[in-house]
Amino acid sequence: MDAATKPLLIVGLPDAAACEGDFCEIPEHHEQAVVNRRLDEDLV
Amino acid sequence: MVSTPIKVDIWSDVQCPWCYIGKRKFEAGAAEFAAQGGGEVEVEYHSFELSPDTPVEYEGTPVQYLSERKGMPVDQVEQMLERVTGIAKDVGLDYDYDHVHQTNTVISHELIHFAKSKGRQLEMKERLLKAYFINGEHVGRIPDLVAIAVELGYDEAEVTEALESHRFLKDVKADVALAQEYGIQGVPFFVIDGKYGVSGAQEAAAFANVLAQVASERDAS
Repeated sequence: MDAATKPLLIVGLPDAAACEGDFCEIPEHHEQAVVNRRLDEDLV
Repeated sequence: MVSTPIKVDIWSDVQCPWCYIGKRKFEAGAAEFAAQGGGEVEVEYHSFELSPDTPVEYEGTPVQYLSERKGMPVDQVEQMLERVTGIAKDVGLDYDYDHVHQTNTVISHELIHFAKSKGRQLEMKERLLKAYFINGEHVGRIPDLVAIAVELGYDEAEVTEALESHRFLKDVKADVALAQEYGIQGVPFFVIDGKYGVSGAQEAAAFANVLAQVASERDAS
Protein backbone atom coordinates (compact mmCIF):
# COMPACT_ATOMS: atom_id res chain seq x y z
CA MET A 1 0.00 0.00 0.00
CA ASP A 2 1.14 3.49 -0.75
CA ALA A 3 -0.90 5.90 1.33
CA ALA A 4 0.85 9.02 0.08
CA THR A 5 -0.12 8.46 -3.55
CA LYS A 6 -3.55 6.92 -2.95
CA PRO A 7 -5.77 9.18 -0.84
CA LEU A 8 -8.83 7.42 0.55
CA LEU A 9 -12.46 8.11 -0.23
CA ILE A 10 -14.09 8.28 3.20
CA VAL A 11 -17.46 6.56 3.37
CA GLY A 12 -19.93 5.60 6.12
CA LEU A 13 -21.38 7.64 8.95
CA PRO A 14 -19.04 10.43 10.01
CA ASP A 15 -19.95 10.11 13.70
CA ALA A 16 -19.41 6.37 14.14
CA ALA A 17 -17.89 5.40 17.47
CA ALA A 18 -14.10 5.43 17.55
CA CYS A 19 -11.21 5.83 19.98
CA GLU A 20 -8.78 8.67 19.60
CA GLY A 21 -5.81 8.93 21.92
CA ASP A 22 -6.82 7.37 25.21
CA PHE A 23 -10.42 8.49 24.93
CA CYS A 24 -13.30 6.63 23.33
CA GLU A 25 -16.33 8.73 22.58
CA ILE A 26 -19.88 7.44 22.63
CA PRO A 27 -21.86 9.06 19.79
CA GLU A 28 -25.39 10.23 20.50
CA HIS A 29 -27.10 7.59 18.37
CA HIS A 30 -25.46 4.89 20.49
CA GLU A 31 -26.65 6.60 23.67
CA GLN A 32 -30.20 6.50 22.35
CA ALA A 33 -29.83 2.85 21.34
CA VAL A 34 -28.79 1.97 24.89
CA VAL A 35 -31.75 3.85 26.36
CA ASN A 36 -34.08 2.08 23.92
CA ARG A 37 -32.65 -1.32 24.87
CA ARG A 38 -33.11 -0.57 28.55
CA LEU A 39 -36.68 0.50 27.92
CA ASP A 40 -37.21 -2.82 26.13
CA GLU A 41 -35.78 -4.62 29.12
CA ASP A 42 -37.92 -2.52 31.51
CA LEU A 43 -34.80 -1.20 33.21
CA VAL A 44 -35.75 2.46 32.84
CA MET B 1 -18.98 -12.39 -8.54
CA VAL B 2 -15.58 -11.09 -7.48
CA SER B 3 -12.75 -13.38 -8.55
CA THR B 4 -10.04 -12.22 -6.16
CA PRO B 5 -10.77 -11.41 -2.51
CA ILE B 6 -11.43 -7.81 -1.55
CA LYS B 7 -8.61 -6.71 0.73
CA VAL B 8 -9.58 -5.01 3.97
CA ASP B 9 -6.83 -3.46 6.08
CA ILE B 10 -7.93 -2.69 9.63
CA TRP B 11 -6.09 -0.45 12.08
CA SER B 12 -6.95 -1.33 15.64
CA ASP B 13 -5.63 -1.40 19.21
CA VAL B 14 -6.03 -4.27 21.65
CA GLN B 15 -7.44 -2.00 24.38
CA CYS B 16 -9.88 -0.13 22.13
CA PRO B 17 -13.49 -0.98 23.05
CA TRP B 18 -14.87 0.21 19.73
CA CYS B 19 -12.33 -1.92 17.85
CA TYR B 20 -13.77 -5.14 19.28
CA ILE B 21 -17.35 -3.95 18.74
CA GLY B 22 -16.38 -2.73 15.25
CA LYS B 23 -14.75 -6.10 14.53
CA ARG B 24 -18.05 -7.86 15.23
CA LYS B 25 -19.98 -5.35 13.12
CA PHE B 26 -17.50 -5.66 10.25
CA GLU B 27 -17.69 -9.47 10.43
CA ALA B 28 -21.49 -9.23 10.26
CA GLY B 29 -21.23 -6.88 7.28
CA ALA B 30 -18.77 -9.17 5.49
CA ALA B 31 -21.08 -12.13 6.15
CA GLU B 32 -24.02 -10.16 4.74
CA PHE B 33 -21.94 -9.32 1.66
CA ALA B 34 -20.96 -12.98 1.20
CA ALA B 35 -24.56 -14.15 1.68
CA GLN B 36 -25.58 -11.90 -1.18
CA GLY B 37 -23.05 -13.65 -3.41
CA GLY B 38 -20.51 -10.88 -3.04
CA GLY B 39 -17.45 -13.07 -2.78
CA GLU B 40 -14.49 -13.34 -0.47
CA VAL B 41 -12.91 -10.76 1.77
CA GLU B 42 -9.30 -10.90 2.95
CA VAL B 43 -8.63 -9.14 6.26
CA GLU B 44 -5.28 -7.91 7.55
CA TYR B 45 -4.95 -6.17 10.91
CA HIS B 46 -2.52 -3.34 11.52
CA SER B 47 -1.16 -2.01 14.78
CA PHE B 48 -2.31 1.25 16.28
CA GLU B 49 -1.23 2.44 19.73
CA LEU B 50 -3.88 4.63 21.30
CA SER B 51 -1.85 5.36 24.39
CA PRO B 52 1.82 4.46 23.87
CA ASP B 53 2.91 6.25 27.04
CA THR B 54 0.87 4.00 29.35
CA PRO B 55 3.18 1.98 31.62
CA VAL B 56 3.02 -1.81 31.36
CA GLU B 57 2.50 -2.06 35.09
CA TYR B 58 -0.26 0.50 35.56
CA GLU B 59 -1.73 -0.32 38.95
CA GLY B 60 -5.09 1.40 38.71
CA THR B 61 -8.35 0.48 37.06
CA PRO B 62 -9.54 1.79 33.67
CA VAL B 63 -11.89 4.06 35.62
CA GLN B 64 -8.98 5.56 37.58
CA TYR B 65 -6.88 5.78 34.43
CA LEU B 66 -9.47 7.71 32.44
CA SER B 67 -10.39 9.85 35.41
CA GLU B 68 -6.73 10.81 35.99
CA ARG B 69 -5.88 11.31 32.32
CA LYS B 70 -9.00 13.21 31.34
CA GLY B 71 -9.78 14.93 34.60
CA MET B 72 -13.26 13.41 34.53
CA PRO B 73 -15.20 12.61 37.71
CA VAL B 74 -15.06 8.91 38.60
CA ASP B 75 -18.83 8.48 38.46
CA GLN B 76 -18.92 9.99 34.97
CA VAL B 77 -16.25 7.55 33.76
CA GLU B 78 -18.11 4.66 35.39
CA GLN B 79 -21.30 5.64 33.59
CA MET B 80 -19.40 5.91 30.30
CA LEU B 81 -17.89 2.43 30.66
CA GLU B 82 -21.27 1.05 31.68
CA ARG B 83 -22.72 2.41 28.45
CA VAL B 84 -19.89 0.93 26.36
CA THR B 85 -20.44 -2.40 28.13
CA GLY B 86 -24.12 -2.25 27.18
CA ILE B 87 -23.30 -1.56 23.53
CA ALA B 88 -20.77 -4.45 23.51
CA LYS B 89 -23.45 -6.74 24.91
CA ASP B 90 -25.63 -5.88 21.92
CA VAL B 91 -23.04 -7.51 19.64
CA GLY B 92 -22.52 -10.51 21.93
CA LEU B 93 -19.44 -9.32 23.83
CA ASP B 94 -19.40 -9.46 27.65
CA TYR B 95 -16.97 -6.72 28.59
CA ASP B 96 -15.76 -6.99 32.18
CA TYR B 97 -14.27 -3.61 33.06
CA ASP B 98 -14.02 -4.58 36.74
CA HIS B 99 -11.17 -6.94 35.81
CA VAL B 100 -9.53 -5.13 32.88
CA HIS B 101 -5.77 -4.52 33.24
CA GLN B 102 -4.96 -1.13 31.75
CA THR B 103 -1.49 -1.45 30.22
CA ASN B 104 0.84 -0.65 27.35
CA THR B 105 -0.16 -2.74 24.30
CA VAL B 106 2.97 -2.52 22.17
CA ILE B 107 4.16 -6.07 22.97
CA SER B 108 0.71 -7.48 22.30
CA HIS B 109 0.98 -5.88 18.85
CA GLU B 110 4.36 -7.58 18.45
CA LEU B 111 2.67 -10.88 19.29
CA ILE B 112 0.01 -10.23 16.63
CA HIS B 113 2.80 -9.68 14.09
CA PHE B 114 4.50 -12.87 15.30
CA ALA B 115 1.24 -14.75 14.68
CA LYS B 116 0.93 -13.07 11.28
CA SER B 117 4.37 -14.44 10.37
CA LYS B 118 2.84 -17.88 11.00
CA GLY B 119 -0.27 -17.12 8.95
CA ARG B 120 -2.47 -16.96 12.08
CA GLN B 121 -2.95 -13.25 12.68
CA LEU B 122 -6.76 -13.16 12.90
CA GLU B 123 -6.89 -15.85 15.57
CA MET B 124 -4.37 -13.98 17.75
CA LYS B 125 -6.12 -10.64 17.28
CA GLU B 126 -9.41 -12.12 18.46
CA ARG B 127 -7.74 -13.92 21.38
CA LEU B 128 -6.02 -10.76 22.64
CA LEU B 129 -9.18 -8.64 22.44
CA LYS B 130 -10.98 -11.35 24.39
CA ALA B 131 -8.09 -11.51 26.87
CA TYR B 132 -8.29 -7.79 27.56
CA PHE B 133 -12.02 -7.07 27.55
CA ILE B 134 -13.61 -10.34 28.62
CA ASN B 135 -11.11 -12.59 30.39
CA GLY B 136 -9.38 -9.96 32.52
CA GLU B 137 -5.96 -11.17 31.36
CA HIS B 138 -2.90 -8.92 31.25
CA VAL B 139 -1.87 -8.12 27.67
CA GLY B 140 1.18 -6.00 28.42
CA ARG B 141 3.59 -8.42 30.08
CA ILE B 142 5.69 -10.90 28.10
CA PRO B 143 5.03 -13.93 30.39
CA ASP B 144 1.26 -13.39 30.18
CA LEU B 145 1.40 -13.00 26.40
CA VAL B 146 3.59 -16.10 26.06
CA ALA B 147 1.02 -18.06 28.09
CA ILE B 148 -1.71 -17.00 25.67
CA ALA B 149 0.45 -17.97 22.69
CA VAL B 150 1.28 -21.36 24.21
CA GLU B 151 -2.42 -21.94 24.83
CA LEU B 152 -2.92 -21.42 21.08
CA GLY B 153 -0.25 -24.02 20.36
CA TYR B 154 2.82 -21.90 19.69
CA ASP B 155 6.28 -22.98 20.83
CA GLU B 156 7.06 -21.34 24.17
CA ALA B 157 10.76 -20.80 23.51
CA GLU B 158 10.18 -19.36 20.06
CA VAL B 159 7.51 -16.88 21.10
CA THR B 160 9.48 -15.86 24.20
CA GLU B 161 12.54 -15.14 22.04
CA ALA B 162 10.46 -13.18 19.55
CA LEU B 163 8.92 -10.97 22.24
CA GLU B 164 12.05 -10.53 24.36
CA SER B 165 14.14 -9.56 21.33
CA HIS B 166 11.35 -7.27 20.06
CA ARG B 167 11.90 -8.81 16.63
CA PHE B 168 8.51 -7.55 15.43
CA LEU B 169 8.65 -4.05 16.91
CA LYS B 170 9.69 -2.59 13.55
CA ASP B 171 6.53 -4.05 11.99
CA VAL B 172 4.38 -2.44 14.68
CA LYS B 173 6.04 0.92 14.07
CA ALA B 174 5.65 0.52 10.30
CA ASP B 175 1.91 0.03 10.76
CA VAL B 176 1.70 3.12 12.94
CA ALA B 177 3.66 5.12 10.37
CA LEU B 178 1.36 3.98 7.56
CA ALA B 179 -1.65 5.05 9.64
CA GLN B 180 -0.09 8.49 9.94
CA GLU B 181 0.42 8.60 6.16
CA TYR B 182 -3.26 7.86 5.67
CA GLY B 183 -4.14 10.53 8.21
CA ILE B 184 -5.76 7.98 10.53
CA GLN B 185 -6.30 9.56 13.95
CA GLY B 186 -8.72 7.16 15.54
CA VAL B 187 -9.54 3.46 15.50
CA PRO B 188 -10.99 1.20 14.37
CA PHE B 189 -10.23 2.34 10.84
CA PHE B 190 -10.91 0.20 7.79
CA VAL B 191 -9.26 0.61 4.38
CA ILE B 192 -11.26 -1.29 1.79
CA ASP B 193 -9.46 -2.37 -1.38
CA GLY B 194 -6.86 0.35 -0.78
CA LYS B 195 -9.43 2.90 -1.90
CA TYR B 196 -12.24 3.48 0.60
CA GLY B 197 -11.74 4.55 4.21
CA VAL B 198 -14.30 3.70 6.87
CA SER B 199 -13.83 5.17 10.34
CA GLY B 200 -15.25 3.75 13.53
CA ALA B 201 -17.59 0.99 14.59
CA GLN B 202 -20.10 1.47 11.79
CA GLU B 203 -23.22 -0.63 11.46
CA ALA B 204 -22.85 -3.93 9.59
CA ALA B 205 -24.85 -2.59 6.64
CA ALA B 206 -22.30 0.18 6.09
CA PHE B 207 -19.53 -2.38 5.68
CA ALA B 208 -21.70 -4.57 3.45
CA ASN B 209 -22.50 -1.55 1.29
CA VAL B 210 -18.89 -0.51 0.72
CA LEU B 211 -17.89 -4.09 -0.05
CA ALA B 212 -20.73 -4.29 -2.57
CA GLN B 213 -19.59 -0.98 -4.07
CA VAL B 214 -16.07 -2.35 -4.57
CA ALA B 215 -17.44 -5.57 -6.08
CA SER B 216 -19.64 -3.67 -8.55
CA GLU B 217 -16.73 -1.44 -9.55
CA ARG B 218 -14.64 -4.55 -10.21
CA ASP B 219 -17.42 -6.09 -12.26
CA ALA B 220 -17.73 -2.91 -14.31
CA SER B 221 -14.01 -2.64 -15.08
